[in-house]
Amino acid sequence: MSLERIKAVLLQELYITARSVEVIVDLPFWSVMTVVVFGFVTRFLSSVMNPTVAHYLYLGTLMWEIMRVAQYSMSLSVLWNVWSHNFSNMFITPLSMFEYVLAQVISGAVKAVVLFGLVALVAATLFDFNMFSMGLGNLTLLFLNLLFFAYSIGLLILGIIFRLGTRIQALAWGLVLIFQPLTAAYYPLSVMPPVLQSVARLFPPTYVFEAARAGLEDPSIRWTDIGIATAENVVYFGLAVWFFNYMYRRSRQTGQFARNEE
Amino acid sequence: MAAEIALEVSNLTKLYGSFRAVGGISFCVPKGKIVGLLGPNGAGKTTTIQMLVGITLPDGGEIRYFGQDLHRHREACLQRINFSSSYNNLQGRITVWENLIVFARLYRVAQPEQKIQNLGRYFGIDELMGQRFLTLSAGQRTRVNLTKALLNDPEVLLMDEPTASLDPDIADRTLSLIESLRESRDLAIVYTSHQMDEVTRICDEVIFLDRGRIVAQDTPAGLTARIANSRLRVMFEGQPQLVVSALHLHFANVELPTHNVVLVTTEAQRIPQAIFDIGNSGVRITDIDIKKPTLEDVFLHIARGDHRVGDPR
Repeated sequence: MSLERIKAVLLQELYITARSVEVIVDLPFWSVMTVVVFGFVTRFLSSVMNPTVAHYLYLGTLMWEIMRVAQYSMSLSVLWNVWSHNFSNMFITPLSMFEYVLAQVISGAVKAVVLFGLVALVAATLFDFNMFSMGLGNLTLLFLNLLFFAYSIGLLILGIIFRLGTRIQALAWGLVLIFQPLTAAYYPLSVMPPVLQSVARLFPPTYVFEAARAGLEDPSIRWTDIGIATAENVVYFGLAVWFFNYMYRRSRQTGQFARNEE
Repeated sequence: MAAEIALEVSNLTKLYGSFRAVGGISFCVPKGKIVGLLGPNGAGKTTTIQMLVGITLPDGGEIRYFGQDLHRHREACLQRINFSSSYNNLQGRITVWENLIVFARLYRVAQPEQKIQNLGRYFGIDELMGQRFLTLSAGQRTRVNLTKALLNDPEVLLMDEPTASLDPDIADRTLSLIESLRESRDLAIVYTSHQMDEVTRICDEVIFLDRGRIVAQDTPAGLTARIANSRLRVMFEGQPQLVVSALHLHFANVELPTHNVVLVTTEAQRIPQAIFDIGNSGVRITDIDIKKPTLEDVFLHIARGDHRVGDPR
């Protein structure tokens, strides 16, 4: 493994992020617009109903940005290079796939931290909604669990793109949304039908969102939720790494890896 | 002393289901030599190149750079080779300089800025450094791609149709550059192209692929010598039957498409005899045109399934 090559991929990420209007719109612009729109929605709902309900909605919106940004960063990085016919060029150098993915993990984490910090700041200053009231340690653990689940989804999408090509590239934006209703992002788990609750418990974000909602009332860490989310994340991340490696190897065996840019 | 072998390919095989894209080919490329890979569409050239750079996995055989197996020593091998293709681009959204800096760091080039400036001057792209790659013309992109391809001082350069989509002037300059690179850096080059005149000009050896197999392998001159027939076209003033009678003494394939033109198809070394016979027939020769076989004729023979040209005469 070469730190220099990981830094090279990160440098490319920085250049693309700085020079692409699409990235600026998809990341900071979209995040800020979301937090502003839902901030006003929350303010309105708080005035006509129990404010806790509105706060649940806003909290889910803010925390969902962690998942969206990290998964977007991981999946789209490949597509920017595939669309430019540059991706195979990069793997004709000594760059390994492990180094490339590690760089994307770092890049995704940096973007998620920066953008979550930004939306938290907007929420606090414009809408008097302080995410840090649940405690920095609590928030960090919840953040990390969402981040790792986003990485797992990102690896899953990358594996599918490598194996099947860019015809399924819409998954890079859309797949993560499947988990929005299933993980009770905006409402308590208890409002879901029992069958769906059982499904929801299979995914780490469900426990994260439950713990975050509880954290609004009581900032102490809910170790049971954090523990289950972490254990599930370990399993999902392990499966995602295995799946990604399998699909990457198959795409090189079938020639799809080279054909992705045709 | 024999030149060091830079690239050695042994029994390389690639199957896509039941389709044999590359069927057990073997060849080697010494340092300082340019080897052309030619063949009709679907012959297996691109698949071979993809395996040579490691982005497609072979189903059998070995690829060795300087004696090291590509798949066991991927990092060490790829550090010593590079690739340039008219079909690969750099990242379009960022500038030429930014692209080159990224690649220089991927190759862990010492003093990358200095290296890029030197190569940029050599290829005349200094003025383009601040431009986004996607705004460049085809010729400019080719020069930037070549700059990228030399960042790591490669000892083996794989070039997939590097002059495709270039105008004749830029294509000629690119070929001159490749020739000078081979001379100055002792580079081993694997070169694919559909331009037969280019291949004839720069390749020391040509490998013809068809349906995944090597059907001919020789120098360009050696390959064209495998096609027997040259064509002589003579325009004359005089009695056509005198010409035909004189030629039929020595030649079987004589045609008279018009009353003052005769065509003779024969081996290249017998052309002087044919001209002599026509001259002695009593007519006045007004024009002579000789068409010797080219690599394109070899290509057409192979593309049309005549693999006899694969056999040296």
